[in-house]
Amino acid sequence: MEKPLTRDPGFWIMVGIGLALLVLGPIFIDMFTIMQITQYVVLSVFALSLAYIWGFGGILSFGQAAFFGLGAYTFAVSSISIGDTTLPLVLSFAIPAAFGVALGYFMFYGKLSDVYLGVVTMVVTLIFWKLANHTAGPEYSIAGVRLGGFNGIPSIPTINFPGQPDAWLDPAQLFRFFMAVLVVVYVVLRILIASDFGRISIGIRENETRAALLGYDIRRHKVIVFALGSGIAGLSGAMWATYQSFIDPNAFSMEMSAKALIWVMAGGVGTLLGPILGVIGLQWLTLKLGMMELLNSLVVLGAIMMVLVLALPKGLVPTVKSACLAGWALWRRGRGVSASAKKVTSDD
Amino acid sequence: MTETPKDEGYRILRTSGLTMRFGGVTAVDNVDFELRDGELRCLLGPNGAGKSTFFKCLTGQLVPTEGRVLLKEQPITGLNTHEIVNMGVGIKTQVPNVFDGISVYENVRLSARRKHTVRIARDVAEATIEKCGIRHLIRREVGQLAHGQRQLVELAMVLAASPDLILLDEPAAGMTGDERDRLAQLVLEAARSAAVIVVEHDMQFIRQIAKFVTVFNRGAIFREAMIDDIMRDRAVQEIYLGKQADAAA
Ligand SMILES: Nc1ncnc2c1ncn2[C@@H]1O[C@H](COP(=O)(O)OP(=O)(O)OP(=O)(O)O)[C@@H](O)[C@H]1O
Ligand SMILES: [Mg+2]
Repeated sequence: MEKPLTRDPGFWIMVGIGLALLVLGPIFIDMFTIMQITQYVVLSVFALSLAYIWGFGGILSFGQAAFFGLGAYTFAVSSISIGDTTLPLVLSFAIPAAFGVALGYFMFYGKLSDVYLGVVTMVVTLIFWKLANHTAGPEYSIAGVRLGGFNGIPSIPTINFPGQPDAWLDPAQLFRFFMAVLVVVYVVLRILIASDFGRISIGIRENETRAALLGYDIRRHKVIVFALGSGIAGLSGAMWATYQSFIDPNAFSMEMSAKALIWVMAGGVGTLLGPILGVIGLQWLTLKLGMMELLNSLVVLGAIMMVLVLALPKGLVPTVKSACLAGWALWRRGRGVSASAKKVTSDD
Repeated sequence: MTETPKDEGYRILRTSGLTMRFGGVTAVDNVDFELRDGELRCLLGPNGAGKSTFFKCLTGQLVPTEGRVLLKEQPITGLNTHEIVNMGVGIKTQVPNVFDGISVYENVRLSARRKHTVRIARDVAEATIEKCGIRHLIRREVGQLAHGQRQLVELAMVLAASPDLILLDEPAAGMTGDERDRLAQLVLEAARSAAVIVVEHDMQFIRQIAKFVTVFNRGAIFREAMIDDIMRDRAVQEIYLGKQADAAA
């Protein structure tokens, strides 16, 4: 647990896979599939935002969609009105993060208990959803961009090269750019988690009272963690908006928040890889189920979720990891017994 | 009755009229308490006497209903726990508060890291772990340890921050004889550079460390005297026996 990040093979493998996909993906994989994977990449960034605050900060938010939607709308409005997507991408991180600071300040300095925290984040999401749905009239426009109520905002521009508003990324470039964002977010989070700031976050997750009794300001700590998660969720919202070139109030829906929770739970709270696998597995499943048109895919997803929670209560990655560790220990013990006695004593 | 010397010098801790009520229960009742710098004080009293609640009021875990707490002659009533702790207070709570999911080393290092740079924190953590006799547990997850071992880990966390005022709430609970002897040595050693208040029920342990003693009963200070006088005091024996009789009934 305390070995430095640079000596963790898992970290390098993840970065390696990410970069390999980034470079080789568009060469070897057909465009339709690449665009499909692009969607997983965007949602993975979203999943990481919750994986971080929940797994490494102990903050269980039912309102991650509020920040996702806020980022999506921020990007939509600012990119249409500016005509360039570079600053809007920055804003789609900064504005949700700033809102995360405000909401986090209210929740953590107000010493809200975990249950109320869940309720407040959920209610905030609902308020955003309601508000966004009520912006149908022409009077609801920001910087000349109409919010469009339940119809949403169409014609959101594709990402362009910085300073060249007409040089849009083609689908392969968009995939590479998003993949780079995912890798950067992953690396930044891993560095943060391995830092003393991250260690203290884990301490707060383990025992808030002790963290405070060691002299750490847990409120300030949690606000920072929460705001960072909010910013990342906002960024993923912007990626979603430009990927679809369209955004509507469903970005703020409870379904969006619930999906993030399900991905993280299925993949394993307290890992970053798990939630990414959760996105890929469950989104793929939803797609297949949607094509079969047998059952409502949400119902089936819910059922799968229940099975997962019962069968793998800790989530996929932690379960596989401890199974591997147990297998490894067994294998070593087996070797130790069959080998000479000095092998056994060296086991201490 | 009290034999506390009443000179007006510096006190690392003073409370005046300290009161904590939970609904109808008065857990701490109008307590005037003083502790000199570097003093080692034992705090005794039957179950429910209000000792742990008193500690919680001192560390900002509870905001007292009435009264004042002065730490190093500064009022701290109403401050947040971390602010009080950063003024130089360390507490081992009755139910150990440790980071269960992480290693012994990391628990202690996070305590040292609050005050020190990365390098120094590492050295301080290792030295403190060594001193507390838990070197062999250094890589273990704290959640898997026995109660007495967890107590030692929490003590190491307190000592690693080198506080000026140390509060220990039943530190010997769950310890083996050897662990308890080591604990007594550690407490005596800590008392050379800090003021210490120890709450304990274990008489054998108290005899090893105690000099001046405060006895709580029903939230109030019942006696303050040297340990030998306390041991001979019929009234003190009775409040302990009375409580035991209540419990037996
Ligand atoms: N949070 C609380 N809410 C209500 N009553 C409480 C609370 N905390 C403590 N009390 C009550 O206050 C009184 C003092 O409790 P406290 O834990 O301080 O006693 P103690 O002297 O530490 O006892 P012990 O030796 O058993 O640890 C008890 O009657 C207890 O029931
Ligand atoms: Mg107690």
